[in-house]
Amino acid sequence: MTDDPDSPNGDDDDWYGEADPRVPDAAPWPDRDLGFLDDDVYLGDDTPMPTEHGSYDASDDRGAELRELERRVEQHRTPVFPIDLRKRLPLEAVWRRWREIAMWGRSDVVDDFGRDPRATARWEWLFEFLYSKWFRVEATGLQHIPSKGRALLVANHAGSLPYDSAMVMHAVRRDHPARRDVRPLVEDTVFHLPFLGPIMNRIGGVRADPENAERLLKKDELVAVFPEGEKGMGKLWKDRYRLQRFGRGGFVKLALRTGSPIIPVAVVGAEEAAPMLGKVTWFAKNIGIPWIPVTPTFPWLGPAGLLPLPSKWYVEFGTPIDLGNAHGPAAAEDRLLVNRLADQIRTQIQSMIEGLLSKRRSPVLPAFLG
Amino acid sequence: MSSGVIGRVVAVTGTGTFLGGELLRRLEEDPRYSRILALDIRPPALLPRSDAQQPAPGGKIEFIRVDLTQPTVDGELATLLSRHKVDTFVHGAFLSHPTHAAEWAHELEDVGTMHVLNACAGIEPRRFVMISTTLVYGAHPKNPNFLVEDAELRGHRDSRFVNDKVRAERQVQRFAKEHPNVEVCILRFAPILGPTVSNMYTRFFSRPVAPVMMGHDPLMQFVHEQDAAYALQKAVESRATGAFNIVGKGVLPYTTVLALLGRVPVPMPQLVARQVSKLLWATQLVGSPPSFLDFLLYLCVADGAKARRELGFAPRLSIKRTILDFLGVAPEDGATDVARAQA
Repeated sequence: MTDDPDSPNGDDDDWYGEADPRVPDAAPWPDRDLGFLDDDVYLGDDTPMPTEHGSYDASDDRGAELRELERRVEQHRTPVFPIDLRKRLPLEAVWRRWREIAMWGRSDVVDDFGRDPRATARWEWLFEFLYSKWFRVEATGLQHIPSKGRALLVANHAGSLPYDSAMVMHAVRRDHPARRDVRPLVEDTVFHLPFLGPIMNRIGGVRADPENAERLLKKDELVAVFPEGEKGMGKLWKDRYRLQRFGRGGFVKLALRTGSPIIPVAVVGAEEAAPMLGKVTWFAKNIGIPWIPVTPTFPWLGPAGLLPLPSKWYVEFGTPIDLGNAHGPAAAEDRLLVNRLADQIRTQIQSMIEGLLSKRRSPVLPAFLG
Repeated sequence: MSSGVIGRVVAVTGTGTFLGGELLRRLEEDPRYSRILALDIRPPALLPRSDAQQPAPGGKIEFIRVDLTQPTVDGELATLLSRHKVDTFVHGAFLSHPTHAAEWAHELEDVGTMHVLNACAGIEPRRFVMISTTLVYGAHPKNPNFLVEDAELRGHRDSRFVNDKVRAERQVQRFAKEHPNVEVCILRFAPILGPTVSNMYTRFFSRPVAPVMMGHDPLMQFVHEQDAAYALQKAVESRATGAFNIVGKGVLPYTTVLALLGRVPVPMPQLVARQVSKLLWATQLVGSPPSFLDFLLYLCVADGAKARRELGFAPRLSIKRTILDFLGVAPEDGATDVARAQA
């Protein structure tokens, strides 16, 4: 009753019953021993599968058995084009080559959140260029980041594209002694952008979602959050370096629940890299973005206008704030406390930003000469 | 032999599906089960195992023709269950391929589940196991990277294939609340891949070309057919209740899956892809409906930690091995393992 009437296998009564004989399922599965997770179990013993039918002596019982096994495996395999035919097809070499080409620049193992080590290495040069040549980032306070264990980096946010999260990520990977990977949480609007979203995901970005963040912190990762979110990115030039509301304090709840220290991060320079003079909401929704930014270069120069201006950047990592010790995980339910703590951290980051701004030398073009 | 499970009687619907057939074969070999009722419209295709020492199969299995789309099937089922003193009911009569016969599918999956539950409500078997899929969570832009069992069953706006399963599952959840004496266990399987199974995903990946939503590349998750069958067997044996995600190890981006399979990706803008898909579905050239495209846009990946904790099931094969096994390629033939190449 469960066959699709137009299934090609539907009229073949013998299709389902036969088990895959390669699988030695008579061997008991480990009942509770769940550390036993060997990938290669299904290959069973060390007996190699015969490559040629003639390689066995006909009188050898084991050989006959193996041949029979092989025949049945072949018979019951889902017909997959062109693999089943590949032994007979001249195209096999082409298909093989195609797979190699298709796998270029990507790895066949990604972590649980989709970070691809090979893709990360592939984009490394771009971040290095932006970091050391274009923005000439000066990072201070990296010693506050623990070499292992969980921590929550909380930073201010600016610019139409998330260059700031990329630079925070790269600063820790480049200059921190432990070369840790930061997992930045990315807003929905950016995460679901065509092309950019998947790339950010491959190099370590994770969709900003409380469940995702909690899971990452429980795995003792470094997570970077930008609590201003979309409002931070949508700041106009006149509001530069004025921190917006820090969401609903979700990051404080997160830190309390997982017992992670909060490391405040101030980023200066991102506002000048893409100064937003205005934003147009007309038509933006139709192409799936919240607004179309108007900067000195965009949209006047076309897509090239999206490139950031070469402003001088400062990134400061502040001393860790251990909320878990002071309040305990139950405090995550105390809304007043959560909101107060969120505002406290916001004020602290704001004053770190003021400090960095006063460090800039030139009054005329402070942003670009540094 | 452990006490309490000697001579269990199991009734299985949907023995024509891959999972149903695998379960029959596994229970047949297990001495703890004395009788197995195979309920389907066609006899199960149990073949003898290769070793001749085993007794002829079918000794414990009794095939009974039951059509869940008949209006009075619940009464028949109830008499059957009480006559054979069934203590475990496995409900697996669900479609693995979307079909154009949507009304029939609705009768089978949604209404059929109602009939099954009607019959079980009076008899109250000790254990009720339902086979579901992780597709019931739906692909949604707001999905977290790992969906837990408590997550909302969003289904899909216009996929009857998924929504019938969501409705069936809601009925079973209501049944579990109303009948606390019955241990109700729902297994949500990630898409099953393997050399013998046939479903929407195996057919989709068997084609030499595959559509890609331009600029989107969600993570995907599969479970190997033998892992899936083992999980079902575990669920029948154990006393765990509630919903469980049965998923394989690891995730991979969709385009990497295509690359591993050696399929040619065809990137299309969303609008074009939807129209092309509608056309191909309407002309019955492909087996996946337009609504399936959402699963190529957004995440629908589930977390298998609860099954590991409470059911004692952990998948043995990683996603890469699952894909290569489906392909029929030996792991060393995959020849793309970066780690191995660099080592």
